[in-house]
Amino acid sequence: MENIHKYSGKQLHKALLEKKITAEQIAKTYLSRAKEFSDLNAFIETYEDSMLKKAKQIDEKIKEGKPVGKLAGIPIAIKDNIHISGKITTCGSKFLENYKAPFSAAVTELLDQADAMIIGKTNLDEFAMGSSTENSAFFPSKNPWNIKCSPGGSSGGSATAVAARLCSIALGSDTGGSIRQPASFTGTFGFKPTYGRVSRYGLVAFASSLDQIGPMANFAEDIGLVMEVIGRPCDKDSTSHELPAENYFANNTESLEGKTIGVPFKFLENLDGEAKKQFEKNLERLKELKANIVDINLDVLKHSVSVYYIIATAEASTNLARFDGIRYGHRSEKASSLDDIYDFSRDEGFGKEVKTRILLGTYVLSAGYKAHLYQKAQKVRQMVVNSFNKAFETCHLIAMPSAPTGAFEIGAIQDPLKLYIQDVFTIGANLAGLPAISVPSGMEEGNKPLGLQLVGPQLHDVNVVESAAVFTSKASIPPNYDKEVNV
Amino acid sequence: MKDNWEIVVGLEIHAQLNTQSKIFSSASNHFGDEPNTNISAVCTGQPGVLPVLNKEVVRKAIQFGVAIEANISEASTFDRKSYFYPDCPKNFQITQFFHPIIQGGRVFAEVEGKEKEFFISFAHLEEDAGSFKHFKKFGAVDYNRSGAPLIEIVSKPCMHSAVEAASYARAIRSILLYLGVSDCNMEEGSIRFDANVSVKKYNEQTLRPKTEIKNLNSFNFLQLAINKEVERQIDLYEKHPDKDPKDVIQSGTYRFDAEKKQVFLMRSKEGADDYRYCPEPDLPPLIIKKEEVEKIKTEIPELPRQRIIRYHQNLGLSLDTAHQMVEQKTISEFFEKACNTCKNKKSLANWILVEFLGRLNEKKETFFSLNLLPENIASLVNLIEDKTITSRMAKQIADIMVDNPEKSPEKIVEENPEFKPVSDLSTIEPLVNAIIEKNPDSIEDYKKGRKKAFAFLVGQVMKETKGKANPQIVSDLIHKKLGDL
Repeated sequence: MENIHKYSGKQLHKALLEKKITAEQIAKTYLSRAKEFSDLNAFIETYEDSMLKKAKQIDEKIKEGKPVGKLAGIPIAIKDNIHISGKITTCGSKFLENYKAPFSAAVTELLDQADAMIIGKTNLDEFAMGSSTENSAFFPSKNPWNIKCSPGGSSGGSATAVAARLCSIALGSDTGGSIRQPASFTGTFGFKPTYGRVSRYGLVAFASSLDQIGPMANFAEDIGLVMEVIGRPCDKDSTSHELPAENYFANNTESLEGKTIGVPFKFLENLDGEAKKQFEKNLERLKELKANIVDINLDVLKHSVSVYYIIATAEASTNLARFDGIRYGHRSEKASSLDDIYDFSRDEGFGKEVKTRILLGTYVLSAGYKAHLYQKAQKVRQMVVNSFNKAFETCHLIAMPSAPTGAFEIGAIQDPLKLYIQDVFTIGANLAGLPAISVPSGMEEGNKPLGLQLVGPQLHDVNVVESAAVFTSKASIPPNYDKEVNV
Repeated sequence: MKDNWEIVVGLEIHAQLNTQSKIFSSASNHFGDEPNTNISAVCTGQPGVLPVLNKEVVRKAIQFGVAIEANISEASTFDRKSYFYPDCPKNFQITQFFHPIIQGGRVFAEVEGKEKEFFISFAHLEEDAGSFKHFKKFGAVDYNRSGAPLIEIVSKPCMHSAVEAASYARAIRSILLYLGVSDCNMEEGSIRFDANVSVKKYNEQTLRPKTEIKNLNSFNFLQLAINKEVERQIDLYEKHPDKDPKDVIQSGTYRFDAEKKQVFLMRSKEGADDYRYCPEPDLPPLIIKKEEVEKIKTEIPELPRQRIIRYHQNLGLSLDTAHQMVEQKTISEFFEKACNTCKNKKSLANWILVEFLGRLNEKKETFFSLNLLPENIASLVNLIEDKTITSRMAKQIADIMVDNPEKSPEKIVEENPEFKPVSDLSTIEPLVNAIIEKNPDSIEDYKKGRKKAFAFLVGQVMKETKGKANPQIVSDLIHKKLGDL
């Protein structure tokens, strides 16, 4: 088989079962690509030895006629805020630079049981706080479509790895858009499942009530495939849904006939430029696919960024309190008292954005401010939930852009508030716990991909992914990424 | 001076629930092991862990709630209480601040011979912290206790003396023990008391500033600390009668120094920590269905108060004896077992609480440390009842039993001829005759109707036989002789 990297994970798996290729060949191909494109800074670490070992085990099983898992032979990358037992989980932070995970995340276990081949850990904004990977303590990742540009974030390393075909599938985490915005920037599929559909056990928490692990891939079928493996109940995560794993693409639908798609036109009225043109084109494509487009009211989402930065930072300030230099992680050498350990270790271990958000979160929970800020934000969050519920009374899915712009150049946005606005269309799904996907839908000038976002009601994950696949058939998808790095 | 002042006390009782595993992890909930052996990724606050609520903890909490006739919340929630300290691995504690599992409730306790009712405001679940130890040049943390399940029981400010507070605390402890939900071991810290203390003039409508005395771990210290604190407050108010109470007593957290017998300020209210409570997003609301509560209601064992009433009404124990018997569950259970084969429950109670406990306390032993069998105590009482032995012999036999716990009283009697009462008329009759002859005055008295004289004569015969004569035979004989005269 030639051009292995141009195939989907599902196709590779099939070829493996048909003995047209070995797992070792696949592993070697992707490992050498990861090396070849290491300038993209997709990975924080790659696992050559353990990946090849896994590949050999799979080949052995196939040779002996033993059954193999659903993901056998598929190279998968994992965002470096998800644990693999015995490997380092940095979270893109100096604080955890040497932190060896004492256990595996539920998703890692499931991938391993399904015989996936883990290629490495991908770069991210420190503790998933950011929209560009520029907040990584190590390096920013580069957008393979235009290497001056950011791949978005915080799952930017995963997006780069997928778009550059350094793996078939990557896991990301999405707290306010951290899977969907980078997917949009890199012309890939990025799916944030229903809150509770994928276990968070072993994901280093940023904002627990918003965090969700999800897959990124170049093909919709790979999103479905990996969801069949990781989207299942977990007794280690109390917020996990009881619903058993579902099958994706059981019915081969080719149109969106009978589906009503809501569009919050008023909320989107400030959309402009290429993003606006693209979105309008996408609505036409949806109509061509026989979807019924209706106007819905989601005006409350104009508050979503404010609400998000109160709730997410409040939770983050408590979640990150455990990084104190006492038990693990960075401990300042300057410290000579207990208070010093706390102060200096956190000062030296955390980057600027993380400190900003911890301070903000501490502030919004403080006596005297909590009622005006945190508790009010919780009320608005409930209003967001109610608005979505009401909207879904009249439509099956909601369509919005994934991001207000295409990829921006690394270093171009210095004002953090301007970066926060990147998430304006994605945050709603996190606040309401809804499944949402970013589908590649074209390019804007300067070789910058743009995505369309489809959002469904809770637990309608299958519908969201399948509809995305249907849309793909009509969308102008970026060509398979090969070597066209420089524009 | 104390007479003008009304004491107002509320208690917060922290009791560890004795579940197999911890409240949010599968690590063992066991005291006294090597440091940092009963730990998991959850109880050391590793990144990426999630709490999973132990159902057994919930069941035990519901049992307690039912026992104090409280409302069990259909939906309670968990919250994060933030503070930085090395014993707190996440630097927040998971507790129930906004919606606790148990609301209201009451208990009855005996205060100086009278029964009094006390009210609970609420009780909530939370995780215990580890323990931080200071050494000369470093500090070290043991996380074995980190994540141990706690129930915090918060009373209303309904106690008006240190004695009442101690009685209430004893009643709560005994309920927890009878339910078997907590070991309530003071030395191991599995039950701890915080006392909120204030005083006010009787005619005042509102409460004056309160102080909180933390971490009292015995009933004695609880009582002592409250008394000391009350004295201190009254003293200060009387010294500054014209000052605003807020300026006299500094609200805040205090600790009790048992050696100095004084309370010391730890931190004032002004400098109080802001715990920044917020909902725990990793735990959904705890939903408890009514049917579940009803089912647990049917499984509640006999509680101390019911048992006191039963001992009093059905077994004829005095209220005081019944209280004493019930106070320690293990002793009460020992008594219950002995009752199965004993002919005189009242006498049995006395033998257990006075005779045996007295002997055991002297030796610093217990029924259980010596493995004394309840049926043997019952047999001893039965031997007295059957008049096989006299009470005096029984006391000597009790001495032997404590030294030789493996021997039954029957065996002891069999092995020792002196414990065989003399019932032989040919031996007793000459003795009786001699005593009657020697005590003409007593006989006169008896004839005048003085009952004491009769008992004196019996006593004299018993003395002659060193207590071995069968007292029934002796008294029958004397009756007969005196009637003959």
